[in-house]
Formats: sequence, C-alpha cells, structure tokens
Amino acid sequence: MTDAEKKIGGAGWFQRLLDGRWSHIAVPVFCVLLSLLVSGVLLVVLGKDPFVGFYSFLQGSGLAPKGSYGGGSGIQSDFFTFLGYLAPMLLASLGFVVGFRAGLFNIGISGQMVASAFTATVLVGYSDLPAVLSKPLVIIIGAVVGALLGAFVGFLKYRFNVHEVVSTIMINYILNYIVGFFINMYFVNGLTRSSLPCSTDAALMIYNVQIGGISCTIPLGIFLAVALAFFLDWLFKRTVVGFELKAVGQNPKAAKYAGINVGKRLIQAMALSGALAGLAGVAYYCGYYTTIVPKTLPQMGYDCIAVALLGNGNPIGSIFASILVSVFQNGSNFMSSTLGVQKEIASLIVGIMLLFSACGGYFRFLAHRKVQRAEDSKIKAKAKAEAAAEGMTGEGEK
Amino acid sequence: MQDDYIIDMRHITKRFPGIVANDDVTLRVKKGEVFALLGENGAGKSTLMSVLFGMYQPDAGKIYLRGEEVKFDSSDDAVAAGIGMVHQHFKLVDNFTVAENIVMGVEPKKRLAGFLPCVDIKEANKRVKDISEQYGLAVNPTDMVGDLAVSQRQRVEILKMLYRNAEILIFDEPTAVLTPKEIEFLLDIIRGLRDQGKTIILITHKIEEIKKVADRCAILCRGKLVDVLDVASTSVQHMANLMVGREVKLETTKGEPHFGKEVLKVDHLTVRNADKFEVVQDVSLSIHEGEIFAVAGVAGNGQGELANTIAGMQDAYKGTVTLDGKDITSETVRNRVEDGVAYIPEDRQGMGVFMNLPLDENLALRRYYKEPFSKGGVLDHAKIREFADDLIERYDIRSGQGGRTITRSMSGGNQQKAIVAREIEQHARLLIFVQPTRGMDMGAIEHIHDQIIAERDRGAAVLLISLELDEVMQLADTIGVIYNGKLLKTAPASTMTSQEVGRYMMGVADND
Repeated sequence: MTDAEKKIGGAGWFQRLLDGRWSHIAVPVFCVLLSLLVSGVLLVVLGKDPFVGFYSFLQGSGLAPKGSYGGGSGIQSDFFTFLGYLAPMLLASLGFVVGFRAGLFNIGISGQMVASAFTATVLVGYSDLPAVLSKPLVIIIGAVVGALLGAFVGFLKYRFNVHEVVSTIMINYILNYIVGFFINMYFVNGLTRSSLPCSTDAALMIYNVQIGGISCTIPLGIFLAVALAFFLDWLFKRTVVGFELKAVGQNPKAAKYAGINVGKRLIQAMALSGALAGLAGVAYYCGYYTTIVPKTLPQMGYDCIAVALLGNGNPIGSIFASILVSVFQNGSNFMSSTLGVQKEIASLIVGIMLLFSACGGYFRFLAHRKVQRAEDSKIKAKAKAEAAAEGMTGEGEK
Repeated sequence: MQDDYIIDMRHITKRFPGIVANDDVTLRVKKGEVFALLGENGAGKSTLMSVLFGMYQPDAGKIYLRGEEVKFDSSDDAVAAGIGMVHQHFKLVDNFTVAENIVMGVEPKKRLAGFLPCVDIKEANKRVKDISEQYGLAVNPTDMVGDLAVSQRQRVEILKMLYRNAEILIFDEPTAVLTPKEIEFLLDIIRGLRDQGKTIILITHKIEEIKKVADRCAILCRGKLVDVLDVASTSVQHMANLMVGREVKLETTKGEPHFGKEVLKVDHLTVRNADKFEVVQDVSLSIHEGEIFAVAGVAGNGQGELANTIAGMQDAYKGTVTLDGKDITSETVRNRVEDGVAYIPEDRQGMGVFMNLPLDENLALRRYYKEPFSKGGVLDHAKIREFADDLIERYDIRSGQGGRTITRSMSGGNQQKAIVAREIEQHARLLIFVQPTRGMDMGAIEHIHDQIIAERDRGAAVLLISLELDEVMQLADTIGVIYNGKLLKTAPASTMTSQEVGRYMMGVADND
C-alpha cells in the first residue's frame, strides 16, 4: 500500500455521495444532519437530553405521541395544527421560489401576506356570507391582492429599473403601517389589541371534525399548497411559460434575443410570486390564526426565503424544507415546556440549520475537491509506477 | 540534447467526460522560438496548454521545464515557474486601471505613516510604464480598462505576464478579436518578444499568421499530435490538409448573384447608446433577395449596434427599418423573427445562448413555443431533442453529452456552431450575421461560408458584418464600409479591391 493509495481511501463513498449525481439531495440532508448534531451539542451544553429535545419537537407537531394530552386534544389535533402552520410556510416559500427562478428576490412576502389577508378579512371575513361562498372568496381575494402587489413591484422594476429588493422592503413598511392603522382605527379587538377575528365561515378551516373521538380543526390551505407545489414543478419543467421565466431569470439579454417579452415575464413572475404570498397570507391569518396583530410583519415572510433556499429553489424541495422548519417552529412550545428551556431555542435551531444549509455549496466543493484529489493521486501513483518501470528499462539500455 | 528544449511535455493524456481531449501528445519547444499550435476547434490545443499552465492536471504523462520535471497544482505554480498565458477571453477588471490590473496579486507595497501597509500605486504605475516601454507595448497605466479597445486590453494581458517575469508566453487565439491592422501590430509585438529572448507558444487556427510569425508548428487533430513542422519549408495547403485531416479548399467559390426584390431597407437610421452618443449615424442601405451585403469596418465603429437595431435588440433613435415593404422599426424581437429575421449576434455568450441551459434547448430557442415543439403551452422535450440531435449531426457540433450538454461546458467554437446552425435552420428572409466564423477553424469556416452562400442562392438577403477583411472580400456581393457610425462607402464588391476597402476602414474618405 503506497501513500497515494491510502489517500484514495480518504475520498470514500461519503464524498462521492455529496459530489455525485444525487448531490442535490445528499447535500441538504447532510446539512440538516450536521445542524441537528450541532443543535444537540447546544442542548447538551444547556444540560438537556438532545434526544428528548428533538423528540419533543415531533411530539409538539403531532408527529409522535405525547405522554399525556389535555382535555379534548390528541395527536390528531396536534397534527392538523401542524399542517395549519405548514400550509402558509409552504405557500410563502413557493412564492419566493417563483421569483427566484425568474431572477427576482422577493423580500416583500411578509407585506404581501399581511395586506392580502387583511383585505380578505375585511371584505369577506366580517360578512355573513355562507361558507361555500366565503371560503373560495377569501382564497381568490388573497391571491388577487398579492398578485397586484407583486405586479406593481415587477412594473417598477421593468419601467423604472427599481430593484425589487429595495421596493419590496419599502412596500413592506408601507403596507404594515397602513394595515396597522386601519385595524387600530376600525377593526380592533379592545381586549387583545389585535384585529377582530374573521368568521368561522370565512376561515380556511373546517372546525370540529371528529377523528378518533378527538375534535380536530382541519386546515384547507395545505391541500392547496401541496397541489400548487406540484403544479409549479410541472410549470417550470414542462411549459413554455416556465421555460421563459427561467430564461429571463438566467439572462435577460439572451431572453430578449430569444424573442421573449422580458418585461411581461418579469411582471408575471412577480405577480405569481405575490399571488402565492397572498395565499400564504390568508392561509396564515385566516387559516391558522383568525386575527391579525397590527403593525407586526409575519416572521414567516422572511423564514420562507431560507426555506426556499434549503429546498434548492425547487418547488418539491420546498415541501420537504418547509416540513422540516415547520416542525421546529410549530413544536417549539411543547419542547419548551418539556425541557424547561426558552422556546426561542427552536428559532436558534432553525437558525443553525439555515446557516449550515447556506454552507451547502461549500460542503459540495470540499467533497468535490477531495474526490478530485483522490483521482489525481490515483493517476500520479500509476504514472509513478510507469516511470519506475521506464527507468528500469532505461538503465538496462545504458 | 534535452537541454535545448525549455518545455518538454511527454505523453500527455487528458480525458473529459465523453471525450479524450489530448491523446498521448508529446511536445517539445525550444527556448527563444515562436512555436505555433495549429488545430481545429476541439482539437485539444487549449486543453494541452491549460495542462502546461497548471489549470488541468494531466491524466497521464509528464512535463519537464528546463530539463526538470514539474508538477503544477494550479496556474499560480506555472506563473511562479515563469509561464504566462494570454487567454482568449480576457481576465481583467473593467473598473480598475491598467496598472492596477497588471500588479493585482503582486502589488508593490508601502507603509502609510510608517506602519499601515497599502498598495503603492505610484510605484505600480512607474513599473508598468517601464515594462511597457521596454517591450514596446504602449499603454497608459492610469487608464480605466473598461474604456480601452480590445487590442489595448490584450496588451494589458501581455504586460500582466511580463510583469510577473514570464519567460514562456502562451497566446490563446490572440487574433480572433483583432482587426487586420491590429493583427499586424500584435505579430510585431510577438516578434519583438522573441527577439528579447522570450519563448512564445501561439494557439491558433489561422495558418497565414503562423506563416508570418512562427518558427515551428505542431498540428493537432482530434486530440492527437499529427506532425511537427518547420514553418518556412511547409506550404499553407499542406498545413491546412493536415489540420482538417482531409483536402480543403482555401478559396470559397460562389456563383454569380441574382438579385431579386428588395428585402431590407434601412432608411436614415440613427442609434444612440446609453450615454446618448450617436453610435450609428444616418445609415441607409438596402439588401435584395440573393444578395450578400457585407459591412466592413474596424471593431467598435457601430456595426454591433446597427445589427442589434435591425434585429430589434436596440431601439432606433431616428429613421426606419423596413422588411419586405413592412415597417418593422418598432416591432418586437419575436415578431421580427416570425417575419423572417435570423440573427447571429456579436456577443455569443452573453446574448446568443443561455450558458446554463442544455444545448438542445438553446438549439430550439427560435421555435420552442411553436408546434410541434410545444402544444397548448406545454413543451414536448422529446421533439426538441430530436430536432437538436439532427442539427448536432448535420452541423458537426461537438460536445461531451450531446443535446444534454450544458452549453457552458462546450468550447467557444462549438457554441458558435450551435448558434449558426440554429439561425441558418430558420431559413429566414433576412440573415444578419455578425462575425459568424469568429473563433472557428478552417474546416468549419468553409462549411459556414458554403451555408451562407446557399442561403443567398435560395433567395435570402444576407447582412454580413465581419471584422475579417478576407471574409468580406470572399463573400460580399455588395460592400459597405462603416467608420465612426457612418456608412462611408457602398459599392458592388467587384468594383473594390481589399486595399481600397482597408483605406475606407481607416476613415479615408472618397476623393470625388
């Protein structure tokens, strides 16, 4: 065994996995495992059992049974609550993915969420419309308001060359305070200081469904969200619109050359991104909560960016990424009471996860370099052997 | 005996997925000679030199430098060993000055207020000026690189190598981006460098240049070394045959033109750039069916903007563009394509293809939205692939994984072939070809010239914009010379000699 051959052993199946054709799955999974390890160490440092900790996140999200349940609740109800949280998270990250694919960075998702949820709540949530009318109306209004806001951002970019990051951040503030103003002036609940709740008919939930003797609240947004994820995947892979959106995102000049109406596609991409953000808004404020806290932008509107990136900017990847992040966010309360640590530790774990996910490209690079070096040393070893053989014959000739 | 050779590459083999770029190539270069590396696109010239320059590690084989075996892990090692490479695509920072670009990485330092280390720009400017005078490469150290012409940028690249004390200079297709006059100048520079004791390796597929400047020449064909020749005693025809691996004809033969109706009419067209500067001024021209109208001119005289405006990439400021009697001045790009405009842009990587998309999608860029490639807005990838495979086959587009190859990983010449194939396949009314054979080898140029002539004979109008005077003279039925955004002279090709055209290109106006 030469040194060189030993080095080949250094780049084993693991590096090859990260560098190979499954790298787009292997690398994020590796990042997540690594962040769980680091988070585990963190919990150990706090004097807690990390396995109990991680398990309690699953318990809190209805993915594992708790030791005991309070009156009228069970693993089913926990699970549906989890789905209620997952739905807006997935929709919001899909919203980001759409913009991202077309080369746009939509930071305005939180503003778009609040504004469309507020509009839907005011127009439909406070009316007496029956459920069959009001539920679809809430969805439609959410999507339309979000789309208009997104299209406006796209228009600013196309017409006046205003960068979408700048305009969306500013619009976030504007929407936040406008909505806050109207809630405080006209729609405030004097006791809780948040908006009056939208009606049960309008809310995107089916209340009091008996499953296994437990009364569950079934969120409707999740079905929409998963269906849209698959639809978007198909859109980007199979359709002319998807192809053109990708093309505009990759190289606007070449897209114009290819005959694509770049301005139209930019505005459409932002409108679609905004529409998904609007759906996330109604799924969050009319399908998980029923009220809006004034002058507070939802953190989800920013978390979804990280989720989208964790999912490789891919709609299907976003499903897995949002499940993962939602487990930690949604299960944090139960974890907190189980371990006796602040529930903000959940945010910390999510933060660690996102940090490592952001390093995914670097891990891939490391693996690639290792594999490359192993191959090089293999070649060098071979060359050395050949040279040795050559040298022998050379001497013989002399 | 071995000591005569400053570079000795033995049995170099380098493989890429699906392709053997260098197959057991042995190459020896003497100190102080100009050594040319001749071969078609994808013959492995650039790969071989990248191996020498440490950018790739060979799969097999050894490199000896000045008689000693060397192993370069990166190009930094090669630079440290005195090898410099002037790349085809310049590696310069536009918003840095000439001197800053040259010294970057090995800056002269000084200490501000006795302790704060910082770059000594004055010293850098001085050193750059000294070197540029020593080798006769006139540059102004304080100019912004972004403001420089292509030939000047190339000089900066060369100076970068000289500043790092390179003894061996590798030029990768240095003349591909230059005008005839600039080429002469560069060849002078190369001779000058040789006379100062530098060893020069010239990667090229232009045999005339080799004839003019090189001492010896190695010919590569499909990754293998075919022969090493003494340039002075070898004929151009023989070199061409060896390079392509078959008989080639050096002159394009074309029949008499038969002009039909007017296809394109450009009337008093003025185009402004972003700085409101009139880059095309009051240009009028008309091209008929069966006519090749060639615009000759030195780079940067408004040709690119003229082509862009006719193709719809840029807006006209004044004047009109008419296609088959229809005013298309403010039509969208797609409508123009539908009306029959094909366009090979100058900026092939930035505009002509999506570098991160696979080859087949780039080949279908003009038709993916139409049946049978998509129905009801849904793409039919199988049909697209089928179409692409046909083009790849017929136009000999070489790539690692066929239609699924990501375009970025293909060689520049093959990217160009893909664009040419796509645009010719449109069988358009008007073909706007800007530098269609730039960076291509003789075999491919011959093929593309034949295609252009075939398109003309089919009855298309061709607007050919080329920096290569030879190409203009070979193909044109009508020649227009552009200078400073103005069309100085338009005349039937048969009435003009290349000397005359060359004079107009320099801005010398008519006497009458």
